[in-house]
Amino acid sequence: MEIYHTLYIALLALFSFLLLICLIRAVKGPQVADRLMAVNMMGTMVMVMISVLALLLNEGYLVDICLIYAMISFLSVVVLSKVYIGIYEERMRKKNEEEDIPHDSH
Amino acid sequence: MTVIEWIRFLTGSLFLLIGIVMFFTELFGVFHFKYVLNRMHAAAMGDTLAISACLLGLMIFSGFNFTTLKLFLIIVFLWFASPVSSHVLARLETATNENLNKYCEIYEDITDLERELAARNDTETGKAPEKTEEKEASAL
Repeated sequence: MEIYHTLYIALLALFSFLLLICLIRAVKGPQVADRLMAVNMMGTMVMVMISVLALLLNEGYLVDICLIYAMISFLSVVVLSKVYIGIYEERMRKKNEEEDIPHDSH
Repeated sequence: MTVIEWIRFLTGSLFLLIGIVMFFTELFGVFHFKYVLNRMHAAAMGDTLAISACLLGLMIFSGFNFTTLKLFLIIVFLWFASPVSSHVLARLETATNENLNKYCEIYEDITDLERELAARNDTETGKAPEKTEEKEASAL
């Protein structure tokens, strides 16, 4: 129907605009957690866009892709946080060792 | 379109509108707050409430079929996943930020916070509420 089609197109345009604002947050964010949070938000909005697209094209299987996208987005946030904590701890450990070695040689 | 169709369209549009307003609130909060642990509060709201409202509107549009079931599954999955990802992000921030003291109060021992809150409660119930302008405490 015509009215549904118009609504879906308007929704897609609006969400692409919101996505752009999220991208600004991801670029501006001073901390790593800020950027990861912005990526998580963008994932949420892309999920809504995929669902709208599934109804617009009348293809049910696109919603499966949306479900998979939700899982991958969740996984990426968890894994990236863990990796960054690991990198930070490694860097701290290395720094402490460098401070300790000249101290021991005295 | 018949009357029933119009009612369906308007109900779905209402839910979508609620979702979009929530998304705008989320974005406003993300740009308004000054620190990432505050921003996370606004961002986690969009993950559960806003997408739930949007997908509920789309479920009403889609009717009674398997697509609706799958959209409902996405909402249920996000209810579980969003708090976990927020928690992991908060842990990332508190683990890697060295001058966390600048942004929030840190209680090394949780009993300190409990004692302070109990003392505050006693003064509030004993006397009339005095100055309640206090710094936001965040327990770690």
